[in-house]
This record gives sequence, C-alpha cells and structure tokens, in this order.
Amino acid sequence: QPMSLSVAPAQTAAWRRQIFEQLNERTKREIDNFRHYEQAIEQSVWVKKGTM
Amino acid sequence: MADDKDVLRDVWFGRIPTCFTLNQDETTEREAEPYYLLLPRVSYLTLVTDKVKKHFLKVMKPEDVGEMWFEYEGTPLKWHYPIGVLFDLHASNTVLPWTITVHFKNFPDRDLLHCPSNSVIEAHFMSSIKEADALKHKSQVINDMQKKDHKQLWMGLQNDKFDQFWAMNRKLMEYSTEDGGFRYIPFRIYQTMSDRPFIQKLFRPVSPEGNAHTLSDLLKEMYPAAIPNEGEQKRYQVVIHGIEPLLETPLQWLSEHLSHPDNFLHICIIPTPSD
Repeated sequence: QPMSLSVAPAQTAAWRRQIFEQLNERTKREIDNFRHYEQAIEQSVWVKKGTM
Repeated sequence: MADDKDVLRDVWFGRIPTCFTLNQDETTEREAEPYYLLLPRVSYLTLVTDKVKKHFLKVMKPEDVGEMWFEYEGTPLKWHYPIGVLFDLHASNTVLPWTITVHFKNFPDRDLLHCPSNSVIEAHFMSSIKEADALKHKSQVINDMQKKDHKQLWMGLQNDKFDQFWAMNRKLMEYSTEDGGFRYIPFRIYQTMSDRPFIQKLFRPVSPEGNAHTLSDLLKEMYPAAIPNEGEQKRYQVVIHGIEPLLETPLQWLSEHLSHPDNFLHICIIPTPSD
C-alpha cells in the first residue's frame, strides 16, 4: 500500500508552512512582475467544435 | 492552507524571467535586439530556446553560425543541469531578469557537452530517471513501465504538460508503508567554488533506529559547513527550487515534492551574500 507523508492542515508543521510561504514569495519575485514575458514553451490549445 | 499537491504544481510551473543578449564578438549584419523569455525552472536550456536561436539567426549569416551555447558572467552554462539549478547556483540574489549571453562560436568543449538535438536531452533525462529509480526502488518501477510510459514522462516535460507527466511520475514516487521511504534518496549537492561537479552518495531517508532523516542529517554528512554552528552567522544558503527549506524538513518529503522531473533532489549551496 503506497504511503505518503501528507497530513491534514491542522497538523501543518513549521517546515511545511515555511515551504508554502516561500514558494508564494518566489512566485511574486520571479513571475508576477514578468507575466508580460513570452513563455518559452507554447501551450497549444485545441478547441473542438461540434454541432450536436 | 495549501496542500502538498500544490507544491508539485508550484515546482513544475516555476519560471525564471530571462533576457538573452548576443555575445558582442559575434558577426552580425545588423544590431541584435535582446530577447525576453520566461524559462521553466525544471527544463533544460537547449530544450526551450528554439525561439532565441531563431531570433538571433535573423541578423547573422549562416556561415557564422556554429552550435549555440550560453554563458552567464563568464561561466558557460551546462545545458544538462536543470535551468533552475543553473540560476540558483550562479545567479540567485541578482536582479531579475537573468541576463544570459548567447554564443554561436568558440564552443567551450572543456566545459560543456554538445547538444546536437533534442534526442540527446531525452537520453540524458531518461538516464537520470533510471538512475534515480535504481536508488529508490532497485529499478523495479522504471523497468515495469513500458516504452510508451517512458515516452509519456519525456513528452510531459518537453511540452510542459504537468498532468501527463505526473500521471506516470507518481508511480516513481511510491513506496511501501513498512519501508517508510525510498531505499536511497536520489540527490545531488552543487557548490559554486569547486571543481567537483556535484556531491552524490548513498543516503537513506530513515535512520537504522527508524527515525526520519532530515535535510540537516543529509548536510551533516555531505556538507557540514552548510550548517551554522550555534551563535554563528549563516555562511551558506541551502537552496532548492529558489527557496531555503528549514533544515528540519524530512528528506523523504523533499524527495517526493521538491525533486526535479529527472527524479533527483538538486540542492545548491551558495555563499550567503554580504550586503
């Protein structure tokens, strides 16, 4: 049976909280001010249209 | 409150804003404008820079164009390290965007591997995954997969498809309750001031007494200088994906959540900046 170290939010340890917080800060620092930049990998979007 | 699954998304969708400029010594027919891109932290430079190449080739004669390579402040950038590792190791604590110089001549054979096509990147990526699974599960999981499953891992990375990649990668992250973790943790520790490319040794996620090993336990054994003595100022930053996890973070959790798609936990040790 696969096991994981995931726990409920109530048990959130300091180390886990700190990782969530730092990842949020990283997004602010590295991405939020640069959203106008082009993405290196284009995400092709397929739109399927049907009449039914 | 965030969920552990969100960490996987944050890791995957990490981006480095980058400004590519052409090396001044390149022969051009007119001035080359810089090119700006958001680079995926978990991918490889030569896999995501087709647009950069196309942009600069517009101002160059075909006879002046050799294999493209990248440099940051005099350091040739190894395409076979993940982009995020290159940034954290050489350029963290610098002002964004990251400015990379693009070269088309004088390829530094002593520092860089050649990368003539994406199949070379694919081979490197798959061999890292296989090595990681040899450490984690004695290769049992990767060997049980079919060729198309291996392809799904690679295509997921190449096309930035999180769901496609993780549908398969989750199998490489499983372990039994009685084991309490992987057999060994696939990790690599990088440092700037060393001729050694990285530190990689066997290290288990759980001690013989059954206690979960932490990031601190790993560093104590592999790089003790990275752990500050009591009352002493921190000399090094221990950086994974641009963040500094607390030293008490369990290593097994880090391996499951902060490993790169190649299934290795890449840890950068960089001198603390003196302000």
